[in-house]
Amino acid sequence: MKPKVAFFDFTGCEGCQLDALHLDAGEVIDLLNAVDIVNFREVMTERSDDYDIAFIEGSITRESEITRLKKIRDQAKIVVAFGACACIGGVNCLKNHLPMEEALKIVYGEDARYYDTIPARPADAVVKVDYCVRGCPPVTSELLKVIKALLLGKKPDIPNHPVCVECKMAGNVCVFERGMTCLGPVTRAGCDAVCINSGRHCWGCRGLVDDPNVDSEKEVLQKYGLTVEQVVEKFKIFNTYAEVAK
Amino acid sequence: MPENRVLIVDDEAIVRESIRDWLEDAGYPVATAESGEEALDLIGRQDFSVMVLDIRLPGKTGIMVLKEVKSQRPWIKSIIITAYPSEETTMEAKQLGAIDYLIKPIAPDDLEKLIRETLDSLGREPTVTTEAEIGVRPPAVKAVEVRKSLVISKNDLKSMVESLAKEMEVVGVKSRQGKYVYDRISSFSELCLDHDVTIMSPTKYFLPAKETLLKFKVGDESGVKPVTEASGRAIVGMHPYDIKAIELLDEAFITANPDPNYIARRQNTIIIGVDCLNPSPKSFAPSMGTHQAETGFDLLLTDIGADYMVTVGSERGASLLAGHTQAREPSGDEVARQKAVRDRALTMYQISLSVPRERLPKLLEDSYDDPYWETRSATCLSCGSCVMVCPTCFCFDVQDDMALNLKEGERLRRWDGCMLVDFARVATGENFRHDKASRFRHRIYRKGKYVIERYGRVGCVGCGRCATACLAEIASPAEAFNAIAESVGIKEAAARLIREVTPDSELYTPRPAELVQVNQLTQTEKVFEFKLKDGKKLGQRPGQFVEVSIMGVGEAPISICSSPTRNGTFHLAVRRVGDVTAALHNLEQGATIGIRGPFGNGFPLDTLQGKDILFVAGGIGLFPLRSLIQYVLDNRSSFGKVNLLFGARSPAERVFVDELALWNQRPDLEFQETVDRGDETWQGNVGVITTLIPKVDLDPRKTMAVVVGPPIMYRFVIVELKKKELSDENIIMSLERRMKCGVGKCGHCQINGVYVCQEGPVFTLAQLRNLREAI
Amino acid sequence: MTDININVHQVTRVEGHGNIVVSAKDGKIEELRWEVPESPRFFEAMLRGRHYDDVPFIASRICGICSIAHTTASIKATEAAFGFQPSEQTLLLRKLLYNAETLESHVLHALFLAAPDFLGVGSVFPLVETHKDVVVMALRLKMLAYNLAEALAGRKTHPISCKVGGFAKLPELSELEALRGRLENALVDLDTTVELFKTLSPSIPDFTRETEYIALTDPKEYAFISGQIGSTDAGVAPLDKYLDVTNEFCVPHSTAKYTKNKRDSYMVGALSRFNNNHEQLLPRAKKAAQELGLSAPSHNPFMITVAQVVESVHAAEDSINIIDKILARGLEEEDNQVKVRAGRGIGAVEAPRGILFHDYTYDDKGILTKANCIIPTNQNHNSIQKDMDALVPLILSRPQDEIRLTLEMLVRAYDPCISCSAHFLTVSFK
Repeated sequence: MKPKVAFFDFTGCEGCQLDALHLDAGEVIDLLNAVDIVNFREVMTERSDDYDIAFIEGSITRESEITRLKKIRDQAKIVVAFGACACIGGVNCLKNHLPMEEALKIVYGEDARYYDTIPARPADAVVKVDYCVRGCPPVTSELLKVIKALLLGKKPDIPNHPVCVECKMAGNVCVFERGMTCLGPVTRAGCDAVCINSGRHCWGCRGLVDDPNVDSEKEVLQKYGLTVEQVVEKFKIFNTYAEVAK
Repeated sequence: MPENRVLIVDDEAIVRESIRDWLEDAGYPVATAESGEEALDLIGRQDFSVMVLDIRLPGKTGIMVLKEVKSQRPWIKSIIITAYPSEETTMEAKQLGAIDYLIKPIAPDDLEKLIRETLDSLGREPTVTTEAEIGVRPPAVKAVEVRKSLVISKNDLKSMVESLAKEMEVVGVKSRQGKYVYDRISSFSELCLDHDVTIMSPTKYFLPAKETLLKFKVGDESGVKPVTEASGRAIVGMHPYDIKAIELLDEAFITANPDPNYIARRQNTIIIGVDCLNPSPKSFAPSMGTHQAETGFDLLLTDIGADYMVTVGSERGASLLAGHTQAREPSGDEVARQKAVRDRALTMYQISLSVPRERLPKLLEDSYDDPYWETRSATCLSCGSCVMVCPTCFCFDVQDDMALNLKEGERLRRWDGCMLVDFARVATGENFRHDKASRFRHRIYRKGKYVIERYGRVGCVGCGRCATACLAEIASPAEAFNAIAESVGIKEAAARLIREVTPDSELYTPRPAELVQVNQLTQTEKVFEFKLKDGKKLGQRPGQFVEVSIMGVGEAPISICSSPTRNGTFHLAVRRVGDVTAALHNLEQGATIGIRGPFGNGFPLDTLQGKDILFVAGGIGLFPLRSLIQYVLDNRSSFGKVNLLFGARSPAERVFVDELALWNQRPDLEFQETVDRGDETWQGNVGVITTLIPKVDLDPRKTMAVVVGPPIMYRFVIVELKKKELSDENIIMSLERRMKCGVGKCGHCQINGVYVCQEGPVFTLAQLRNLREAI
Repeated sequence: MTDININVHQVTRVEGHGNIVVSAKDGKIEELRWEVPESPRFFEAMLRGRHYDDVPFIASRICGICSIAHTTASIKATEAAFGFQPSEQTLLLRKLLYNAETLESHVLHALFLAAPDFLGVGSVFPLVETHKDVVVMALRLKMLAYNLAEALAGRKTHPISCKVGGFAKLPELSELEALRGRLENALVDLDTTVELFKTLSPSIPDFTRETEYIALTDPKEYAFISGQIGSTDAGVAPLDKYLDVTNEFCVPHSTAKYTKNKRDSYMVGALSRFNNNHEQLLPRAKKAAQELGLSAPSHNPFMITVAQVVESVHAAEDSINIIDKILARGLEEEDNQVKVRAGRGIGAVEAPRGILFHDYTYDDKGILTKANCIIPTNQNHNSIQKDMDALVPLILSRPQDEIRLTLEMLVRAYDPCISCSAHFLTVSFK
């Protein structure tokens, strides 16, 4: 019996779902042989409320989304948060710093329903999440890894060490030695350090490792010339919800 | 390296026997085989350096034998003998790597000389047999000897490197974004031979960051195949400290349990080293004795200004020089110049140790509880940079990657490091080095103590890469060594305990085993009876373990819980706790799994002979103990009084209940059991297992206690046993750690300086007194 | 006539969330609405206070499908604010990167999102059995576009190497050569696609409504990342007049704003670009347009998809030309230091779905103080509504399911990117 898989999108840019199809023909055929995709609004018309594994893309930013997500959790045996927005809140959480949400409601009166919005949060702030496929966007091979692991009945082999491991394996010169700063030392690996390989630095889109030494990372960033405010701003982009951006 | 044993393969008895007599007179240990099949069987069971092989054999031909030997034992040198030479077979033999080709009848002197030359060129420098070299005698113009120093011009080097680039991949030191890296070079001008240090060490060419060990298929066409890479490569620009690091890896990967993937690469890599005349400010190589190298390279260059002084390190290096350069004798000035530049380089190092490095092991021994480890590691990011850049680090992880069609996949090896948080975590979630301080301390102890005690070579080569890479600036071993250098009162270091094991090129390849029967023991535990599909006996000693593979899911260590004295099958009792054990629990009779091993030291049967034995089994600690209990009962007359204590958490968690009942009934065995908490039906003892010990009547001078149970149990049981006045040597335990490779390489099972999979899992309390992390 | 009651909640095979509501009693239309209930994402809040180096990186996350468009518009707006001129090499690389997204987005839309309707299935998945070659070809084209973007920017979705000033890492010439070979093959695949759409053209509804068509226009070439605002009604307007052209306003049943210019609504996207700039299409693309029966001016919104197929050919052809240029002149490491100053800049690009504006204001430290974006689909919501208003009376007598499918196809034809369009609210703080 092939497991039934459903994709759901909440508040996000839908880039994760698009990249889920970043496969060659052989992989698509193998995938369709391995699972039944019963719900994938962006790509198919058929919908189904009968599914085993639910992939959640996007973060939760409205009351109605909380209700919808809870219903999905009730139906699905396995819930996988897919992408930075669903796993750690993502860039949507930047608006949580908006100081005057309440004030806007007052100011805009009856148009306030345009502002039907609550502080953005990841899926696991609302329901229990079984697995995460992290990144903004996630690496397609990690999505496949999770699917394969679910099919084999084992835990997916997702690293719990920082990006530095993969960055060194790739032979990069450390960006700190090239006048930039980087969140790699506290960010979870699994992306093969693609941003450093492409000439930039790590923005932390995969979220923090389980036990990050954030204090030490903040010290390092300051040692390399950032002010305390700048350090906090750096973490904010993806990791607002993790409370390290304080 | 293997002793200089020679194998003679010829179907004619007179040829075999006469060659054997000649060689034995000359002092070589010799074995003979009269067919190809017999030869391959012998090679599978013993190690040889040289094989003398007749091309014309009944059954498997000489060429077929040569092919199989090349893939399984690439380091064996083969000499072909034949009465019927032909150009065709000559070419084929050359391509398969034969050293030479002698025509019968053979003069004993010729053969013996050839074997001697072949063996002399072995030793620590592996030779690569490329087509170009076979049958090529160095030009009569100049015989270049090993360890000689000659002079070549910069143009000479250029032409040598460019010639090599036509035949193989050439990697060297080049610049990248203001730093230096090892990478493939496409032209000689890219080389930066005056560099200070590279970001990553050349160790990656011998043990790559990621590689495939096995390819497998599951389902109808199931099978497993080892994968080794054999393409040739030359490395240009290696500094002496990196050369020394490779010599350490040779010890780890060749001496015991020779690793076929490492060896294939090692054999096929030419090392052209360069003296470091421009040291990194973070380097302290002279303090570690690694600023100069006399061995471990094919050629070593010193830049003496206009030209290079080149030291020949191997036959291969000698023929490179002879074939591509106009090497000449150095003048007195040039020799002096070499010494001068080396001396000058020595003055440029900015860091040194404040104590001689020979004292480091003892220094560290005394500093285990020093608060330095805690304070210094507070800012550690556990980012792994230090282990990734280190030339002497070689710990690795092994994971299965299944293809999306779920029909085939690969078993991959990739770098791991003891500084990463989850390195010592096991499936139950326990992490034996869960805090930064213990990981930090372990790494420094590896570098300064464990490695030199285990392998006889320095664990840190003082290159300074980690000091540069560490963002928290805490990584340099020199700083750690100097910081704790005021220690006094040195104890004796633990003895080196490396076992010689039969070499095996199928080191990581599991053998298929069939599931004969499954029985449920409790809700979470089952016992499985397996037999090896090739019909052989597993040959385990009680207390050993195997690595069980379910291809695609992974591999896990499981204790063998049956004695070798029983059946041709073996039992594995398994608690369902992780990915592999869960998959095992889903198997049905007739299923096939993979087995590697048996590994580990097992219980000390010799020491136990004739003694009284007290077994203390806590919960599933009974699993490994059962193998010894059965063994003792099967050889009952060889042992004295036997007491067996068993404790379970609750009646429902008692395991092997039928056997417990049998043991209880035996008149020649005192059996007592207890449960931590009872239930309505339980009539027996209630209380922890330590409550049973005071009741046992034993003579501490004649009794050995064998204890296996959950980690928390040991401390309390030991207290009770000491009250019974048992000495430390007479208390035996089996310990659990995270085990992956089973052959003392991947590093995960280390307790301080010992590898549980090699020196354990069975230890005496006396041994554990020296291993602070143990209990 | 029977009563009609259509309520499509979250149209499928489009990006983002949109609803279609139609009700009619006795042949009289009571309700006819295109609703956009998408969650507002407050991108202005995300960008305010950010350092210019991070701004394009965050702006990229407005949309996963047109992330290269947003990144490029964001970079252009920032460079305009600082008065920075990118080098010729940078411009070539940017155009090439841009073509990758145009190609990928159009292929995805035409073959994965729109084609199933014409082939009578609910998605591309059943086509794996019935039209395997087409699916394999579509995946091949997508993969090529991804790999082209990866060679230039490290990744297609949320590109990495492109930044304010230029590129942080240059591609390898050997990689570009290999991609050029694959692009040649892609032209063959696109010929096949054109043939396929020729066979589907009888199924394309024959509906026209003339409106204003707005697109970037540049005298030098078919504009994607350069030029000024062109209109079929009004001629050319400079970028800084964009507010006068777009005239955003609020609508009760939508969290996205609507726009209008010379008429009640206007259209942006592939058809608008075609109508404004068709003369500048490259030769193979022009030929494809001819084959497909697309000629300017075209007023049938269902032909947007066809125009996208034509633009795919153009993107592939243009990419080959650009790679040839780069291979001839080589690539050089450039020192693209940007001098920060206070200022305001507008960056406009043609995203696959239409003209996109990013308008930024920076302080003298390079920190963004104000931002405004007009998203292509914003500008199309009104056009969709007006199209429905004109179309529904013409098909009211048909079975309800047919009406529903036709309206869904209408929405899909626009290839809307709805979640981007609801991102923005102009917020002023008292």
